[in-house]
Amino acid sequence: MAQVSTAQPAEAAPRPAARRHLSDRRIVQLFILPTVILLILMNIFPLIYSLFLSFTEYSVISANPPVWVGLENYTNILNDPQFWHYFGVTGTYALISVALQTLVGFGLAMLLRTKFTGSGVVTTLILVPMMLSPIVVAVFWRLIFNPSYGIFNYIFGFLTLLLPTLMGVILVLLLWRIVPKVLGESTARYGRMALLILIPVVAHLFWRVVLNQDQTYGAFYQQVTAIETGPEWLAEPVLAMWSIIIVDVWMWSPFVMLLCLAGLSAIPEYLYEAAAIDRASGWFQFRRITLPQVMPLLLIAVLFRTIEAFKQFDLVMGLTGGGPGDVTRTVSVQLYQLAFQGQFNTGQSSALAYIVLVIIIAVSNLYIRALNRAREG
Amino acid sequence: MLKKLLLVAVLLMVVTGVSVSAQGVTEINIWWAEWDPANYLQQIGNEYEAATGIKVNVVTTPWSSYLDRVSTEWAAQGTSYDMIVGDSQWLGQAATEGHYVDMTEFLNSNGITETVTPATLQYYGEYPAGSGTFYAYPTEGDANGWAYRTDLFEDADNMAAFEAEYGRPLAVPTTWEELRDIGAFFTRPDDGLYGVAVYTQLEGDAITMGFQNPFFSYGGDWYDETFNTLGVVNSDSAVASLELYKELYSFAPPGTNNAFFQEMNDAYVNGQAAMIMNYFAFFPALANPNINPYADVTGYFPMPAGPDGERFAALGGQGISVNNYISDDRKQASFDFITWFATEEVQARWAELGGYTCNIAVLESPEFLEVAPYNAAFAETMTFVKDFTNIPVYGQLLEISQRYLNAYIVGGQGTAQEALDNMAAEMDEVLVDAGYISE
Amino acid sequence: MTTIYTPSAPVSYSTRVDKVGRGQRISVTVRAIIAVLIALLMLVPVIWMGLTAFKTRPDAVAAPPVLLFQPSLEGFISLLTERRQMTQSEITAAEANRDQLDWANQIALLRGQTIIGTSAFPRQLVNSLIIAGASTFFSVGFGVLSAYAFSRFNIPGKDDLLFFILSQRMLPAVVVTIPIFLMYKEVGLYDTHFGMVLLYTSFNLSFSVWLLKGFIDEIPKEYEEAALVDGYTRLQAFRKIVLPQAITGIAATTVFSLIFSWNEYAFALMLTSDVARTAPPSIPLVLGTGGIEWAAIAAGSLAFLIPVVIVTFVLRKHLLRGVTFGAIRKG
Repeated sequence: MAQVSTAQPAEAAPRPAARRHLSDRRIVQLFILPTVILLILMNIFPLIYSLFLSFTEYSVISANPPVWVGLENYTNILNDPQFWHYFGVTGTYALISVALQTLVGFGLAMLLRTKFTGSGVVTTLILVPMMLSPIVVAVFWRLIFNPSYGIFNYIFGFLTLLLPTLMGVILVLLLWRIVPKVLGESTARYGRMALLILIPVVAHLFWRVVLNQDQTYGAFYQQVTAIETGPEWLAEPVLAMWSIIIVDVWMWSPFVMLLCLAGLSAIPEYLYEAAAIDRASGWFQFRRITLPQVMPLLLIAVLFRTIEAFKQFDLVMGLTGGGPGDVTRTVSVQLYQLAFQGQFNTGQSSALAYIVLVIIIAVSNLYIRALNRAREG
Repeated sequence: MLKKLLLVAVLLMVVTGVSVSAQGVTEINIWWAEWDPANYLQQIGNEYEAATGIKVNVVTTPWSSYLDRVSTEWAAQGTSYDMIVGDSQWLGQAATEGHYVDMTEFLNSNGITETVTPATLQYYGEYPAGSGTFYAYPTEGDANGWAYRTDLFEDADNMAAFEAEYGRPLAVPTTWEELRDIGAFFTRPDDGLYGVAVYTQLEGDAITMGFQNPFFSYGGDWYDETFNTLGVVNSDSAVASLELYKELYSFAPPGTNNAFFQEMNDAYVNGQAAMIMNYFAFFPALANPNINPYADVTGYFPMPAGPDGERFAALGGQGISVNNYISDDRKQASFDFITWFATEEVQARWAELGGYTCNIAVLESPEFLEVAPYNAAFAETMTFVKDFTNIPVYGQLLEISQRYLNAYIVGGQGTAQEALDNMAAEMDEVLVDAGYISE
Repeated sequence: MTTIYTPSAPVSYSTRVDKVGRGQRISVTVRAIIAVLIALLMLVPVIWMGLTAFKTRPDAVAAPPVLLFQPSLEGFISLLTERRQMTQSEITAAEANRDQLDWANQIALLRGQTIIGTSAFPRQLVNSLIIAGASTFFSVGFGVLSAYAFSRFNIPGKDDLLFFILSQRMLPAVVVTIPIFLMYKEVGLYDTHFGMVLLYTSFNLSFSVWLLKGFIDEIPKEYEEAALVDGYTRLQAFRKIVLPQAITGIAATTVFSLIFSWNEYAFALMLTSDVARTAPPSIPLVLGTGGIEWAAIAAGSLAFLIPVVIVTFVLRKHLLRGVTFGAIRKG
């Protein structure tokens, strides 16, 4: 290139470019350095210090200096069968919780994307759970879950009482459109009126068959809805994990919702108008326009929720303390048990933390790849 | 002029024998958990300031985070506190790692050791057990006791029905079996009434503390003289005591599945429980009619006995220790405070405010026994207290007992025998690793 | 999706909301009803909290729970005052002169207590305002600068740098508490407002850089380039073109950063003691007389919630800018 170019443009052209390039570089430095310097200052010491401690036997309350033990802490942890249990718990929790948050959050965003009178207020109100301090949320939900003086069993019981009716309504709605096709347009009105009778019938059948105490499903339903004896949400090994998930979804779905809402509001209307002209179905519009457009922000939301779910501590500790026994003990709770709670096994806990870190890095990388693909779209 | 005055003042102080080494200390900080006794201590501190001019700050942290907070301070060998009212179990760690000042000479030379009950001095102050070396002055004596509804116990219908069913009159239980029967008798879910509420919390040490009451009384222990756990933790009598505790939990109000002192009182003030176990430190609330609607019909009794007539109450409470990392001046100022605090007059005032003194003379005084309805039961209890171990690996041992006890009692996993077998085996491992048992 | 942005696009369609058809309007009504119902359901715990704030101890734990009760200000008294337990003789004396006491002392007297001062809560609330406000300002400020640089320029090792920034949030807090505590003690940042601002800023930065980069990526480069050709400097283009378009992202990031630093518990507990202590460590476990003071916790949580709700409500317009914003986005 340089060989073919003549002297004149070579001298003249790069000059403004160089100046701009230089000033751009200055801008990049000015813009990025504060962040990077602050993060390095605040985090490099804790990061390296705990990495070092993870190879030592050391207790933070001890006057004795750390003793180098090589990989012993790591092998101890990886050979401990309990360790896999804690990771299983964490993984299950993270998967279900983040999936539900994504669904609920996205659903809420779809509901709220079109403005209506008071939609600003409704959105703000939905965000309230997220604004509470996690520790207060945990303490307070313990009061709410309490079968004696909490209200959860009452609300849950009430909602499940509505379930049979809801089933009937859903069935009728499904059949609603088919009626004219089967009966013909002229008799459709009467057909639909007749259909309404189905609601109580279905509700009754649902009661009888599914909710019957003798049936398998019925037993679960009975256990969950019996108000007087109410389930002890936080004490039943099966329900304890679900109660944590319920609270987590309640608290953090609004987070996903808000990011999705931001993404949705940025979709240009003309895309939909073009699709409408092509008579594209609602499902097509959703799959080809809404979802891809929202994806980058949705993935960022999911990325951060996943990282937080792996680190989840406040809610689990406050609600169940990891119990009963260690049924809901997540890695973070185990980490806390090791690092504090009278044990002060700093070396081992640092090693465990680094294992967690590696897993989070791996998982985040998967997300980031998906994110980049969504961006390049 | 000012300088001269100051010089004169200093000289005067030296001459008049005001402790020279404590000079210049105008403020001392005491750490404790966030609860009522800490407020009483602040009150005592204010009176100390009025008497000496030295300001006393009682700095508090929520119970659940107290040890976390303290341990970070230990890690930094920090001087944020001068004195600390620390849990009895911490003593081993704090003494071995040198966080607390050895107070043996100070306490002995002042005769303070003679003023407090031997059991409290042993559990709140001494490490290792039996060594005669002290690291704390027993400050807040505390142990588990019971509160019960006298209206239910004295109801004629209840008395008749109970006698018909069990063949003996309905009265305050003296053995664990009697307590269980009464618990079963009063458990009437249709009326929203339940027999007993017991500790079940997984975090910290709650369920272990609650279980220890029958466990020790039945003859169980965490290890024998040679630190052997096998066959001790899981002895037959220990299994029987665990089965009993689990039975008690089946008579507990729904929702007391992660319960400690707060939940005990809550289940009592809302009328659900006929009897609750709790630390004496939390009984003042039950004597307060505005908090407890049943305050006037609430009685208190000490722990019942095991099958062999032995009885033990799990120990709570704390002693006050001095930070090893502060200057000698500040240490001296702290000793001065403790010397003053340990006098009988101040201890009587401490008890009057609501603190649980460990001072023998005050405990035996008729004023003390009468001032609160639970004080008689408290004074009796303090003669048969017993604590969880305070050796430095207590944290590991506690984690094991908490996990298995909670899984069996609350989660219903396995049998009592299995739970205790597993506990014994894991505890043995910890003690071997820590060098208490040679392999 | 590499459609090149054409300036004519924004004006080639209508963005008027009132042009929707009848069917769509019904569906909006249905959506609105469902949304309101869900919002109400989600608010039940918060409403319960509001009720609890005015309950007495026995009412707060009544079994079965009570909806109707005699409201009491006990919770607020517990939250806002320092009280002293009176001895029996003092109580008798005070009860005799009940009418001469002010209303707050009358409530305290029910428990045999007398008020001796205000609690630390108001002061801690001010600390929270300073620390959360400043750290939110810095994390959003630094965040938007870095996000812009990462979005627009080719930076050597960009992906690694971005990952480094993200990784700040990956180490569980339990592990970093002690190293940070030791570090703070060493450099004198322990129990200072500045130290807490630094810490929260650094914690929020990773989130704010990533989120804002996501938003700025969506703003077409062509806008700035056109401005640069028109003689704007980079900085001017950034200020006049990019910032206004990124307002949704900035608003969302502000809300999230504020919520985090406002509610942070573990570090506040470990790294502050008296001077810079924020409110969260004090609210959750106000252990009153022998038990959890549910009313005080509820009252504290609600009082503590209000500032964040206000900020969010003020920013709601930017959070929900609606369809017009989409006009400038690349298709």
